[in-house]
Amino acid sequence: MSQDIATIRVTRYRPEKDAKPFFQEYKVPYRHDMVVLDALNYIKAEIDGSLTYRWSCRMGVCGSCGANIDGEPKLTCASFLHDFKGRTITVEPMPNFPVIKDLVVDMEDFMEKLVKIKPWIIREKETPPEQGEYKQSAQELERYSQFSSCINCMLCYAACPIYGLNEKFLGPAATALAYRYIEDSRDQGKDVRFPVVHEMEGVWECTLVGECSVVCPKGVDPMLAIQKTKILGATNAIKSLLMPRGGH
Amino acid sequence: MEDNKRYPELRRRLSPGWWTANRHYTMYMVREWTSLFVALYSLIFIYGLSLWAMGSRADFLSFLKNPAIVGFSLIALVFTMYHAATWFYLLGAIAPVKIGRSRTKPWQALVLNLILLVIISYLAIWLLVLR
Repeated sequence: MSQDIATIRVTRYRPEKDAKPFFQEYKVPYRHDMVVLDALNYIKAEIDGSLTYRWSCRMGVCGSCGANIDGEPKLTCASFLHDFKGRTITVEPMPNFPVIKDLVVDMEDFMEKLVKIKPWIIREKETPPEQGEYKQSAQELERYSQFSSCINCMLCYAACPIYGLNEKFLGPAATALAYRYIEDSRDQGKDVRFPVVHEMEGVWECTLVGECSVVCPKGVDPMLAIQKTKILGATNAIKSLLMPRGGH
Repeated sequence: MEDNKRYPELRRRLSPGWWTANRHYTMYMVREWTSLFVALYSLIFIYGLSLWAMGSRADFLSFLKNPAIVGFSLIALVFTMYHAATWFYLLGAIAPVKIGRSRTKPWQALVLNLILLVIISYLAIWLLVLR
């Protein structure tokens, strides 16, 4: 099978050596089934072992390999080289995050936000396993199922100009996951999560740019989750105004 | 643990022209900017009403008939319609209605709301002017 050559321009930044990031160009021979991540692996193995990037599963599940490809946040494992045939492919670290080295960004901020929304099922009182599982109907599952597909790849944060302006913004993925649990019929943690999603830098910071939902590689619609959370918050506020002694 | 803040933090910040980077960002910015015309038109209209309240209906009407105001109103109408259409569409995107097994599409909300807008506007004009 004949091989084409891809030209890849990768951001290099080694903080101990470089004052500023710069681009380095590589030529990579590729087959039809190769993705940008394969090209990065080829560069690291065959051309330049110092190139640094994150990756793990190579199949769009782990969410480690996000980068800006030709200016758009994408998973490098899900971007085929043949889609860029005939032009130079620019690979940069995801914007809006501090860069640690080359394509590796600091995920700390997102990790803290993820913990803050408590992405697990909260029960007022746990029942022992012998009493059986918490049952759920197909309709109840449908209310949140798309939001449980989030792989924490942070592409939505890279695409969000609001997060770019204010990193305190809770952001798309964390809110989508908060909503996933708020809407889960088995969960009873609404009172714990509501203060987090409705604080000043929670959902109300979102001005509906909508790019988070465009770039999501798993078909999650974080913009929808954020607006639904706003609706829940607003109806809750009205309810507590009208029925101060418990309108839940 | 090693101090990972040894090097100055490098973070790509938004440049003033960030919204030209792709079509979605640009459309978002157009949507936001068109709201300025809605606000400006409201201010002009409130000023016109104050002329009526403090002066006469003739003052109000002659203010509204000023060619500059008519011109601006036409431009504002176009931008307001665009602004309204984007929000009608978004309404459909964030609050789809479930009918049977399927959900309504955003464009259906847009069309329905535009039809309602025409009907309600006609009723308002009929009640206030034509009747």
